[in-house]
Amino acid sequence: MISIKVYKKKFLEVCIKFKNIMQAENLIQSLIEQTRQIINQVEQLKTFDSHQLTWKANPTSWNILECLEHLNLYGDFYLPEIESKIRNSNSKNETTFKSGFLGGYFAKSMLPKEKLNKMKTFKDKNPLNAKLDKSVIEKFIGQQVKLLDLLNKSRNVNLNNVRIETSISSMIRLKLGDTFQFFINHIIRHLKQIERIQAELKNG
Amino acid sequence: MKEIVELSDKTIILERNDFLKVKGSIDSNVYYVESGSLKVFVLDEYEEQIIRFGYKENLLASLDSFLTGRPSAFYIQAIKKTTLRVITKQQIEKFLQKESNRVLWTRILESLILQQLEREIDILTNSPKERYQRVLKRSPQLFQEIPNRLIANYLRMSAETLSRLKKS
Repeated sequence: MISIKVYKKKFLEVCIKFKNIMQAENLIQSLIEQTRQIINQVEQLKTFDSHQLTWKANPTSWNILECLEHLNLYGDFYLPEIESKIRNSNSKNETTFKSGFLGGYFAKSMLPKEKLNKMKTFKDKNPLNAKLDKSVIEKFIGQQVKLLDLLNKSRNVNLNNVRIETSISSMIRLKLGDTFQFFINHIIRHLKQIERIQAELKNG
Repeated sequence: MKEIVELSDKTIILERNDFLKVKGSIDSNVYYVESGSLKVFVLDEYEEQIIRFGYKENLLASLDSFLTGRPSAFYIQAIKKTTLRVITKQQIEKFLQKESNRVLWTRILESLILQQLEREIDILTNSPKERYQRVLKRSPQLFQEIPNRLIANYLRMSAETLSRLKKS
């Protein structure tokens, strides 16, 4: 007879193998490290002049500042939402995190692929041709500092139980752990876009 | 200190303003600064408070993470382009298996404790002039390596006050 305990252990091992379950602290460490790299990449943009920051390949595509402002608009939505959900949660921290079906899918779909997978931008998150200056970069870095603060605070709550409403619909709510990964993957996606703009500017 | 640096098999280069470490990360490495300079700080409601600096030939670490293996609240950021040698905790633990090395390591830790005590007195000293004089006497090299506006933050005074004190 195999005891339930052994079954449970086996089940956990299989889950870990398929990577949808992990140690919460490992997830937080990985998200903090990704945020550090994001900050470093954007810090270097501060040395760019306004020609480099506002150059665009064609009139309908974004320049570097527009990419960052797009991210800022998402930050304006998600960061206060995450902050209030963490503050009002009475959950206790849980050592493991299991990615949700939808959340895991959303987070993964955000990551840029080898071949460019274009996505549609919601109108209210499109900064095309808005008047933007370098303060956009400061605001972005400020949001990353806030994000680090929230990642630190999230150690005290359950990443599985706290749920965050998405900007798509308040009906679609994702686990806090998935929301963090989704949010950061979205940033990584647009920082890759910024790298492409830099390359085009150099070669164009 | 040479013995410690020789344990390293990894070098990292930070561009100006690059972060080596941010709040909440676990970083149990010890770093040796080959060139450049860095600041260690905490953010208090978005306000930076510099705790210490690292420059040429200094050892630098998030000592709390190093000792406990737990997350640390410190940020470490390059002030200018910086080259660091990385010494991992594992490398140091292996090094400490030898008795004679433990004596050396204890010396380094003792000197760190003394530095921390001096810094504690700095912070508790009321007079800006006295704070300035204490640091100038202790680390004259600091004033060669680090921009004034950052030293002023470290000394908890305005850049104007520091420049007045330097002239007097």
